[in-house]
Amino acid sequence: MEDELKRLRAAALEALAAVNEAEQLESFRVGYLGRKGLLSTVMRRLGQVAKEDRPRLGQLANAIKREVEELFQQKKKELSATGATEAVPEDLSLPGRSLPFGKLHPVTQVMEEIRGIFEGMGFAVAEGPDVELEHYNFEALNIPKHHPARDMHDTFYVTDSILLRTHTSPMQARIMEKLEPPLRYIAPGKVYRCDSDITHTPMFHQVEGFMVDYKVSFADLKGVLTSFTRRMFKDDLALRFRPSFFPFTEPSAEVDIACVICGGSGCRVCKHTGWLEILGAGLIDPEVLKKVGYDPEVYSGFAFGLGVERIAMLKYGIDDIRLFYENDLRFLAQF
Amino acid sequence: MKFTLKWLSEYVSIGDLSPEQLADRLTMLGLEVEAVQDLSQGLEGILTAKIVEVRPHPDADRLTLCTVEVGDDVVPVVCGAPNVRAGLVTAIALPGVTMPGGLRIKKARLRGQESRGMLCSGKELGISSDDSGILELDEHVASGVALVKELGLDDIMVEIDLTPNRPDCASVIGIAREVAALTGSPLQRPVDRNDLPVLDGRNIDFSAEIREPELCPRYAARKLTGVTIGPSPGWLQQRLLAVGMRPINNLVDITNFVMLEYGQPLHAFDFKKLAGGRIVVRRPAEDEKTFTTLDGSERTLEPEMLLICDQERPVAVAGIMGGLDSEVTGETTEVLLESACFDPVAIRKAARRLNLSSESSYRFERGVDPDGVDCALQRAVNLIEELAGGKAVPGGVDEYPGRRDLLTLPLRTSRVCDLLGMELDSRRMAAYLQSIEFGIASEEDEALQVVVPSFRVDIEREIDLVEEIARLAGYNDIPTTLPLIRMDYPQRDPLRALRQDVSAILLAQGFSEAINYSFVSEKQLDVLGISGDDERLRCTRLLNPLTEDQAVMRTMLLPGLLENIKRNINFQQTDIRLFEIGKIFLQHGSDTQPEEKLQLCAVMSGQRYPGAVPLYFSGRQADIFDIKGVAQSLLTTLRITGGSGEISFVAAAEEAQPYSQEGMSLLIMDGERVIGGLGRLDRGKGRDFGIKQDVFFLELDLETLCHLPRAVKAFKSLPRYPSVKRDIALLVPEQVAAGDLLQAILEQNVEHVERAELFDVYRGKPIEKGMKSVALSVTYRSLEQTLADETVDRFHKEIVHSLMSRFGGRYRGGQEINEEEKRNA
Repeated sequence: MEDELKRLRAAALEALAAVNEAEQLESFRVGYLGRKGLLSTVMRRLGQVAKEDRPRLGQLANAIKREVEELFQQKKKELSATGATEAVPEDLSLPGRSLPFGKLHPVTQVMEEIRGIFEGMGFAVAEGPDVELEHYNFEALNIPKHHPARDMHDTFYVTDSILLRTHTSPMQARIMEKLEPPLRYIAPGKVYRCDSDITHTPMFHQVEGFMVDYKVSFADLKGVLTSFTRRMFKDDLALRFRPSFFPFTEPSAEVDIACVICGGSGCRVCKHTGWLEILGAGLIDPEVLKKVGYDPEVYSGFAFGLGVERIAMLKYGIDDIRLFYENDLRFLAQF
Repeated sequence: MKFTLKWLSEYVSIGDLSPEQLADRLTMLGLEVEAVQDLSQGLEGILTAKIVEVRPHPDADRLTLCTVEVGDDVVPVVCGAPNVRAGLVTAIALPGVTMPGGLRIKKARLRGQESRGMLCSGKELGISSDDSGILELDEHVASGVALVKELGLDDIMVEIDLTPNRPDCASVIGIAREVAALTGSPLQRPVDRNDLPVLDGRNIDFSAEIREPELCPRYAARKLTGVTIGPSPGWLQQRLLAVGMRPINNLVDITNFVMLEYGQPLHAFDFKKLAGGRIVVRRPAEDEKTFTTLDGSERTLEPEMLLICDQERPVAVAGIMGGLDSEVTGETTEVLLESACFDPVAIRKAARRLNLSSESSYRFERGVDPDGVDCALQRAVNLIEELAGGKAVPGGVDEYPGRRDLLTLPLRTSRVCDLLGMELDSRRMAAYLQSIEFGIASEEDEALQVVVPSFRVDIEREIDLVEEIARLAGYNDIPTTLPLIRMDYPQRDPLRALRQDVSAILLAQGFSEAINYSFVSEKQLDVLGISGDDERLRCTRLLNPLTEDQAVMRTMLLPGLLENIKRNINFQQTDIRLFEIGKIFLQHGSDTQPEEKLQLCAVMSGQRYPGAVPLYFSGRQADIFDIKGVAQSLLTTLRITGGSGEISFVAAAEEAQPYSQEGMSLLIMDGERVIGGLGRLDRGKGRDFGIKQDVFFLELDLETLCHLPRAVKAFKSLPRYPSVKRDIALLVPEQVAAGDLLQAILEQNVEHVERAELFDVYRGKPIEKGMKSVALSVTYRSLEQTLADETVDRFHKEIVHSLMSRFGGRYRGGQEINEEEKRNA
């Protein structure tokens, strides 16, 4: 009861302070001081209070009622003195009142954007284990044990046959092993290489994607990746496909976009070539299809992989990859 | 792979392609150009100079006064190099010239003596690593001419990032072959198949035996006598320097040069140091445990390594590096020159075991042309005769147990067109392949029979030919089409959906997302007090971590976020709300993949509302109820009821969350099952992490959460009758939990109780010590009618009495406010 009285007093004072027109003043009077007003209502209930508390609470209630009435009269005078309804203008330069939202990590933001584009083109999403069997990371992808292509993967090992995946490509083999074509999948996730400097962190994110169906061609690969790249960056973006090598695709390609920093005229970021490499891709090697029991004479497909940090760096102009893993709020707040 | 344009032009005409155009064309052919560098850059002003006279400096022991002829000029120069002497032709930077390192040369007085220019060392000019003295040029070189001209540095160096499938292009001739395909001009080799002598092992005083023909398909060698070891001529040194290789002596330089030219690694032995004039290619004998390579290191031999041996002992690790004992030295006059081919896998394994990678092993690992062994050998013989005064002994050995017919592959026209998605006829395909020296055994409209040249060890299947055609046709000329697909909306992974929902809820509460490395230091678990049989000690350990701080896969997310808090505080960001959703890894067996579980961890520290306008939100510090609120709103928003019907928060035993302050630690449970926890980080442990302010954490297992039942979304009609609210204030002993009071009201199942809420907890005057006042409000509502005051009173009394008797409380007061009345007011 005591608390309630105090709350009521505070509410009344606040309401009165907000009054700046005669009409509002009247509705205040009815609401708080009137016969059916809040103060009267509470005071009617004093009878129910424990006997010993009754005098004290009664005094308190009366005091509050007096105070509110006094202030009410004062306000009434004020309003008639100014003779008008002119209010003190609000200072609208004050900031709005809100609680700030947090920010998704830029890697997540870019990853979600990538996922959105591919989902829109009918790709499903699957994630696999970070700690992977060597078989899926290498052998199933046509990278035998003593192949020089392993030099492209500085691998963290857990045991002889278990490792931290060096790319998200193992999901290709895992999904194809389980399902029959037609397949369209992307596999986003963390990957690991034992390498650390300004341009490399030992962990980073990749999105692997692939499609298998009847008569999927290199021209289709070009079409899908051109669509993706333009949605991701901008619609009239120049891009080129150039031959490269991955053991699990053939023909293999790397996709370059016109440098988003200099627009193609040459700068430090694009090493003065005017081009930035953003994707590796290719037709899935018949050997990889055979290993999962598909007949490469019947089915063909393409696969691609891209580095999420790299795309985030290009999109947002971030110049040091290590910033992604320091989780400095000043960094996170920027995206 | 590096080469220069002048070097390349010895084998093929580049035509009118500019260096940039050539680089671009090579890149588009699959030979990605990493760098194009003008070798004369920075050396434009450097001239040749002849020292005419040398006098000691009167006031400095180490300096000399030189009179130097630069063309028609004669200038005084003070020089400190030990090798200054009259007659020496060297390089000079005259005043006004900027050195490659950025130093601008000015007229100067050195210890009182005038100096008008600087005589330069190779290192100062950036053309070699030699800083022992000033550059020494051939004495016949005229003074006053541009040094770059004299040294052939008016050239462009091109570096290619070779993919592992193209060892044929680890040679200048290999690259020239590709350029020939680009420009249509012919490829010229210094030594051709037709120029080769017969090497049948007859009439010579040495022999070669291959005991491991599987590992060494071919071994050829020739002997040269009368060799004089000395420096290579300038042009040869410059070729090597331009591609970053150090000139050593004429013989070694020639073997390196031919390796770069043909892609065939060669090795020269001092013939007199080969016992018995015999070469045996074999594995180590049982007692051959170590071997000293020519770099002076003692290497441990493994039984499966392949060695080149003489009659008695090993003289080289095959394909990787020669031995110190049989190395060519200044005294060498007779040389045995080896040109061989080794099994790629064997070389790779050995190089790995020895942790020794050389230009030679690089090529053998990827595959050297077995048919090219003899051409490269002859080329080197010719150069030794020409540049080292040697004379080749007629004949030689050429063991070729691995000789094979060239591979012939069928190539279906339709297959190429289908896979590439472009129209090409067999004639075009044949022309593309012939341009890079593939043979066409037969050509029909439907198919070609393609003969694969021996240097293309990477071409084994029809698909490999498809790629060759694709790159020669040009990827950019392949059409761009979109596949026609059978439309479907794939199933969404529920865990992924949960992850997105959880993120959205946390973002709305002001938390930003962090991503930390999956590997951590095991010590962090110690610091947090994780011990005993806690499953979080089941770490997956890396065999080859980068540092001890990244040695095990994380079993909890909290340590990473604590590191983030520390970092942010260090940078004056003291008000923090961060969360991470990521995998933890629990190792259950020794040779299995760990269990990977998706978890959420959220932390807060500092002010309650970081980033909020202080004008409206006072600087109150976050407390445990903030983090509990986050957990509750997360569970409520996700409508998670759990199998038990309600998720509960239960005081945690110390061992469950040893890193939590005692009494500030709650487990989040679904019945008996723990799905997470929250609490205040133990202050001592916080300090161990370098954090001095209070940290509140929340951990949830999303994997478990994902499978918990959720309240079904089902409509209930909106009540038509008003509710009535009654308050109760009870004086209860301190140890009574307010939450239990609320719980008790609901559990009583009194009719018409819609809701019960806590609105005040008060301690202090006039309430006696050991007691507190808890104020609750109960909302009553009937769906059928407006409840009469008397009815509500009856129910309310029932509740009040039961609370008092159950918790030993005293009634402090209460009042009711009819909601209707309030609205009318």
